[in-house]
Amino acid sequence: MRRLTPYLFLLPGLLLFGLFRLYPLLDGLRLSFTNARLGRAQYAWVGLANYERLLDDTRFHTSLWNTAFYTVASTLPILAIPLVLALALNRRIALKTFLRSAFFFPFTLSVVTVGLTWLWLLDPVVGPFNYYLRSLGVPARSWLADPATAMWAIVVTTVWWVAGYYLVIYLAGLQDIPRELYEAAAIDGAGGWTSFRAITLPLLRPVLLFVFVTHIIGSFQIFGQVFILTQGGPGDATRTVVQHLYETAFQNFFHFGSASAMAWVLFAVIVGFSLLQFRLLRGHTEY
Amino acid sequence: MNEHTAVTRRRVLRGAALAAGVAALPAGARRAGAQAKPTISYWNGLTGADGKVMDELIQQFTQETGIRIEQQRIPWADLYAKLQVSVPAGEGPDLALIHTIEVPHFASDGVLDAIADGAVAGKGFRADDYLPSTWQGGIYQGKRYAIPLDVPQHLLYMNVKVMREAGLAGADGKPKVPGSKDELLAMAKQMTKGDGFGFAIGTLNPGKYTWGFQNLLWQNGANVYTPDLKRSALADPAAIEAAEFFGAIHARDKVAPPANANCRDAFIAGKLGMWIAGSWNFTGLREAKVDFAVAPVPRIFKRPIVWSMPHQFTFPRPKAADAARRDAAWAHVRWMSDHVAEWTLKAGQISARRAPHTDPRITGDPVLKTLLAQAPNWQGGQPTPKWVAAENLTRPVIETIYIGQKPARAAMEDLARQINALPE
Repeated sequence: MRRLTPYLFLLPGLLLFGLFRLYPLLDGLRLSFTNARLGRAQYAWVGLANYERLLDDTRFHTSLWNTAFYTVASTLPILAIPLVLALALNRRIALKTFLRSAFFFPFTLSVVTVGLTWLWLLDPVVGPFNYYLRSLGVPARSWLADPATAMWAIVVTTVWWVAGYYLVIYLAGLQDIPRELYEAAAIDGAGGWTSFRAITLPLLRPVLLFVFVTHIIGSFQIFGQVFILTQGGPGDATRTVVQHLYETAFQNFFHFGSASAMAWVLFAVIVGFSLLQFRLLRGHTEY
Repeated sequence: MNEHTAVTRRRVLRGAALAAGVAALPAGARRAGAQAKPTISYWNGLTGADGKVMDELIQQFTQETGIRIEQQRIPWADLYAKLQVSVPAGEGPDLALIHTIEVPHFASDGVLDAIADGAVAGKGFRADDYLPSTWQGGIYQGKRYAIPLDVPQHLLYMNVKVMREAGLAGADGKPKVPGSKDELLAMAKQMTKGDGFGFAIGTLNPGKYTWGFQNLLWQNGANVYTPDLKRSALADPAAIEAAEFFGAIHARDKVAPPANANCRDAFIAGKLGMWIAGSWNFTGLREAKVDFAVAPVPRIFKRPIVWSMPHQFTFPRPKAADAARRDAAWAHVRWMSDHVAEWTLKAGQISARRAPHTDPRITGDPVLKTLLAQAPNWQGGQPTPKWVAAENLTRPVIETIYIGQKPARAAMEDLARQINALPE
């Protein structure tokens, strides 16, 4: 009985995990080998046809490329900006509590609120962003309707939205670093940059890894901001994998088979990247 | 006056007041006391100013009949996805308002219940009472699936202040109406300066406004599919010509706002002169106290076709038949059809039923009168289950034309290929 006790405690969680995570995951895998369509009772086994079709689906390739671009473009700002803010707000400065709350506030908003706010801010005709640019003599731009700037606008929106969350994570990590280390370094004549390089960064590595891994996973799944701000446009300039998957599953003929194949390809990509990250950073940190 | 007489009078008055009070109670409320009325669910996409009007009418319907309606207003695209998912799971609504073009694919997917001809006649609905195109729109492969409500359509809105400032108003202050494509472009150029634009098609995101693009196609005699519905006709010369105009207004001539602009806000803010947009916008413009005039959609190509897309009442297929709820849903359809003049006046949508078209309150309103006058030029989508999927594919492609990213011919040929590759 004593052996069974821990498993009994785990059972409710495992049941929920099995029902709401594992079962849909495996059923999705099964569907990816069929021509299942919502609303049609009959469907057939099609083998690898859905995966083969993805090889010819140029819009899927575009969406994969866009997702990778977004992931790379957003990673450095997501790692660096909250870290700089956290370092500043970890000092004794005026209005510290207020500033921490202010930076965290955007993260309390839903993606729809964030998207609609930035949609208005960046509106090419009546948006305040272009208004102030014009008043400064700078020509206005259609930030979300220009293929050269649309993805960057999404990156900026996302950084504004989630920076506060990572700021809190960094602050927790910074406050875990013993003060004595900085005091000892100061006695040895270390300056601010040396302390940061020799103490803060190495001891913050587990937090950095956490931020890095969770951000990469989240980036590959980006959907809400794109859906609200550009719907994948202009053209397909900001179409991401999840946007393409959503449209395949819920807008264009409800092809659950094809959409499930896309989901599994995305899953494989995310698993691959996550393993690579752990492998590259293994040995440098405890996690 | 003796006491006896006075008491008698009081009694008589009390009795009369009581009787009058009972008579004043809504018929539905009296019946509700005897038998509980069902509560039905109703989904629609009336998320604009027309949604508030629907709220008022539903409240009135409940007061009169005792039938309660739980309404869900969901953006159209999400509504259709939700219907497709919910109905097979037995979680669909009792009543849904959809666009005519959605009828074929929902009918072929078994999302909608077919309506027997006997039921239609039994509820007092007759083909002669309706505009033929709206009545026909409820039929797919010989079976009826829907009862039409109204005819949302395009209209040309003109911002009087912007046009007057550009010297495009007559001595009487009335803005000039363009009579051809060249005249429209010349007038639009005259109004375009700074952050203001002369012309736009569509409310939000004009670059991917498929309904505006369809209007241009239809004016040029083109369409999404060939008449036999077997292949896409979007690579045909007439369709390419329409696409070239769509790209020219922004990418070449710069007279139309950027692809993701909010044209309604721009029009209200006095930054847009001429605007082809849906009839559902005009009550909102009146509320915003914009000085505007309207005209029929101008003839840009061969024919002055006006895009229209009737709303239809439909009965999503329930998991188990419930006669009381279905009757209650029918009662609402009947009631709305009988009160559709109110809907037209408040929501700005011309009714599918003919009777209100002679109502002096409607014929006396300059905007409603213009909408009614467009009737001979109305055109709607083609009756194929693939229409909506084709429209979804069209959106990003026309945006690449609008912003000048892709030449019209190459984009349309690519789009036609994509549409032809849609699975059965």
